[in-house]
Amino acid sequence: MTPGATPPRPPRWAKGLLERITAPHLLEELEGDLEELFHRRVREYSPRKACLLYLLDLLLLLHPRLWRRKPTAHPPTPLFRMTLLRNYLTVALRTLARHKLYSAIKIGGFAAGIAACLLIALYIRQELGYDQHYAQGDRVYRLLRRSALRGEAGVGVHFPAPLAGTLRAEYPALEKVGHYNAAFETKDIQIRRSDRPESLHEEGFVHVNQEWVDILELPFVAGNPREALTQPRTLVITQRKAEKYFPGEDPIGKVFIFNDDPQRQYRVTGVIRDFPATSHVQYDFLMSLAGKEFWPGEQTNWRTSNYISYIRVRRGTDIAQLERQLLAIVKKHFLPYVVKNGANAEEIGWLESFRFELQPVKEIYLNRAEVRDDLPHGDLRYIWLFGSVAVFILVIASINFINLSTARSANRAKEVGIRKVIGSRRGSLVRQFLTESLLYSFFSFAVGLLLAILLLPLFNGLVGKSLTFPWRTWWLLPVLVAGAGGVGLLAGLYPAFYLSAFQPIRVLKGHLGRGSKAATTRSVLVVFQFSVSIVLMLGTLVIGRQMHYILNKKVGFDKEQVLLLEGTHTLNEKIVAFRQQMLGLPQVRHVSLSDFLPLAGRKRNNGPMWTQGMADAEKISSQHWNVDHDYLKTMGLKLVQGRDFSAQMPTDSGAVIINQSLAEALQLKTPVGERIFNWRGAWTVIGVVEDFHFESMKEKIQPMGLFLGRSPNTLLLKVQATDMTATLAAVTGVWKQFSPHQPIRYAFLDQQYAAMYADVARTGRIFSSFALLAIVIACLGLFALSAFMVEQRGKEISIRKVLGASPGHLVGLLTLNFVRLVLIAFTLAIPLAWYLMRAWLEDFAYRIPLQWELFALAGLSAVAVALLTIGYQSLKAALANPVDHLKSE
Amino acid sequence: MKGTQLGEFEELVLLTVAFLYDEAYSVAVMEELSRRVARPMVLGVVHRTMQRLEEKGLVTSRFGEATAERGGRRKRLFTVTAAGERALQEARRIRNELWGGIPAAAFKGGVA
Repeated sequence: MTPGATPPRPPRWAKGLLERITAPHLLEELEGDLEELFHRRVREYSPRKACLLYLLDLLLLLHPRLWRRKPTAHPPTPLFRMTLLRNYLTVALRTLARHKLYSAIKIGGFAAGIAACLLIALYIRQELGYDQHYAQGDRVYRLLRRSALRGEAGVGVHFPAPLAGTLRAEYPALEKVGHYNAAFETKDIQIRRSDRPESLHEEGFVHVNQEWVDILELPFVAGNPREALTQPRTLVITQRKAEKYFPGEDPIGKVFIFNDDPQRQYRVTGVIRDFPATSHVQYDFLMSLAGKEFWPGEQTNWRTSNYISYIRVRRGTDIAQLERQLLAIVKKHFLPYVVKNGANAEEIGWLESFRFELQPVKEIYLNRAEVRDDLPHGDLRYIWLFGSVAVFILVIASINFINLSTARSANRAKEVGIRKVIGSRRGSLVRQFLTESLLYSFFSFAVGLLLAILLLPLFNGLVGKSLTFPWRTWWLLPVLVAGAGGVGLLAGLYPAFYLSAFQPIRVLKGHLGRGSKAATTRSVLVVFQFSVSIVLMLGTLVIGRQMHYILNKKVGFDKEQVLLLEGTHTLNEKIVAFRQQMLGLPQVRHVSLSDFLPLAGRKRNNGPMWTQGMADAEKISSQHWNVDHDYLKTMGLKLVQGRDFSAQMPTDSGAVIINQSLAEALQLKTPVGERIFNWRGAWTVIGVVEDFHFESMKEKIQPMGLFLGRSPNTLLLKVQATDMTATLAAVTGVWKQFSPHQPIRYAFLDQQYAAMYADVARTGRIFSSFALLAIVIACLGLFALSAFMVEQRGKEISIRKVLGASPGHLVGLLTLNFVRLVLIAFTLAIPLAWYLMRAWLEDFAYRIPLQWELFALAGLSAVAVALLTIGYQSLKAALANPVDHLKSE
Repeated sequence: MKGTQLGEFEELVLLTVAFLYDEAYSVAVMEELSRRVARPMVLGVVHRTMQRLEEKGLVTSRFGEATAERGGRRKRLFTVTAAGERALQEARRIRNELWGGIPAAAFKGGVA
């Protein structure tokens, strides 16, 4: 603004402001006018005044008319102009068709990732959706108690029979109190219609009271929901059982006879719909508890706990307060009863440590099975695990997409350059590439959806569920479309911006080398892909090893060729003769009658054992199994001290054979001959058996004692047969003679044993499937990348060859970079995998150690796979005729 | 009155545009008016008025030559359209009629 060598100019900032505010069609004349005035005023007055007046004029120009845009002759390009969009789509489709291999890899990888995600999403949706279908669900709770015994905290779900009635009477806040008993008279039941002679074995029995049915809002299709179970000896069955036993008839009023005993009859008073797949309880036969007493005095006994209780509270009840109020029951009912019937200090201490907790019904399924309620539970950890796996696989597939798009950018560079020269703005180009990636995304989603539908049955088998696509829900299609759009946009953003940034002049001159920055990103992404794949591979290896270990570890008994015959208690006295017949069969070596078996979920009996003079606190909690003389021989158990039960020794009725754990726990140096005690009396130890696994290997071997006793539900046959079919036929024949109206039920011990670890096997299968998928996708990406790189360096390779490089040298050159990436990925994967696997293995009391050779194996496999993928391309390049590339120079 | 309503300032500007025939652009109009009218002229007001006149169809504009004084920018030249001419004539007629009917006694200075 000072006069001098330079002619005075109007203030630049003001000019800038003017330029920015004014509508374009007015700018030129206004700027000119103002400048003209400025110069005149400079001449007339002074530069300073001219400036001031300039500013004043500018200020007074401010008016909406200043910036109101003239309605333009051509409107600006709207977001989706049809012809432009058509062009984008055409170009996209042409690109797709021209590079079929790369397009196939892009779409295929994406589709695979999406299919995996969809399937896992279905699984997670069901797992999280258990017990959501109760109308009053937010007021329904299950009763839990936390207690402490000898310093160990425990959670229990079982309560005494009279609790339900007492709760209802003394706590008005509780609208309804229901309970069920699944412990007594619910196993080994064969039922028949009163008018038919054949009995069938059934499962899914439970004793319930009417209020339990009300609380869980069970939907009735026949019978009176309010009154179905108020009478003694009444029964409610599910629809599928009604179909099975009374097809086409009305089941109400019909009678079932249990175990062929006319004294045990139940009359059908209602039919309910089958329990949905998302219910935490699954039963088929609900028997009324009205007037039922499992043994004399059971219904008023506060010491035995076998009832799982549910309550429905009134609206607005304070749960925490209710939990505290419930404690009064302990003082009022538990303690007096126990004291009256001769309790010891330990039991009283245990009762006094009770804390009640109300568990919302929606949380029962997912709660980790610290609560032993014999119900199937989902595991929140698995949900997290599978969710992460799904996300990772999708990320890997997206990475492929990004890498392939940016890698092949040289092909699109010319197109971008020309478009820019013609007049495309960067925004339009970004939109074009986003459109392309959206196209790919929708394509992949469609293919992925198809894949998911096709693979659903396989997936169901893999995870042991029966999932279906929720076609009926209104939100499915919009969610899928939104998902496709979202993923397409996200994955397409980086390539879009990368590709549209090419400068036309550099492209058209031929300088395409925008390599370096993108190459680093690509490498990072490849490393990430392989890390995830390696972690999954390691997981598979570890789980496989652990399974192998479990199934082949010495269990302490001989599980080969042992046949279990179930339901033998129905033979009653005929069992003796039956045994003789069995022994008569040539293939049968030993026969034993006992339903205490070394399989999870079988009969168990727990109680304290002690030696003379032990204090209450020291008594050992151990198993008490009732077996017969032939049990050890039939099961192949090894005696390390003493002798087996003998029929010649009548005193053996007071004898016990203990296992090594019990001997240790009781601190018996010479166990044989010692006297030990349990609640039934005193016993003489006649032998010590080697510890054997009778629960899943997740548990440590417990102390146990074997007694002579009657437990006749299962007959064990040790066979030595080369032709199992013939043996089975013979056994079945004998069975039919003894029990014509009951089909035989048998199983093999080793199969049952393997079934205990079904969930472990399943996890292993899932891991291996996903590891395979991840590796395949990562390798697809690697394949494409290496093909591209070989293409890029075609000329370089030819020249090197001409100058005398050997094929080996060339291959090394091409593969070295990628192998380095895989090794980096391996290093990153190790700590993560180690941590995860250790956490998983901690579940098992008996487990494999995490050896370094597992890691080495995984690493080598990864490198090998990578080499195989790249190898083909590199080899082809190294062996090619250099003339081909240098011809067009 | 037929035709568009003409404000006082608009009429003045329109007259000046006719007066300056073929040389009428914002700055020239502004200077001419400031010479004749007592109140100070602001470029912005003149400019807005010209815009409004153009929207009403009373003037048309075209781009003229660029000068160095304007920093190489062209000026916008306005000319009165037929409709503008009609509006001016109409306004003049009304005034003349009224002037003609004023009795001698109304103004001390007489009616010229």
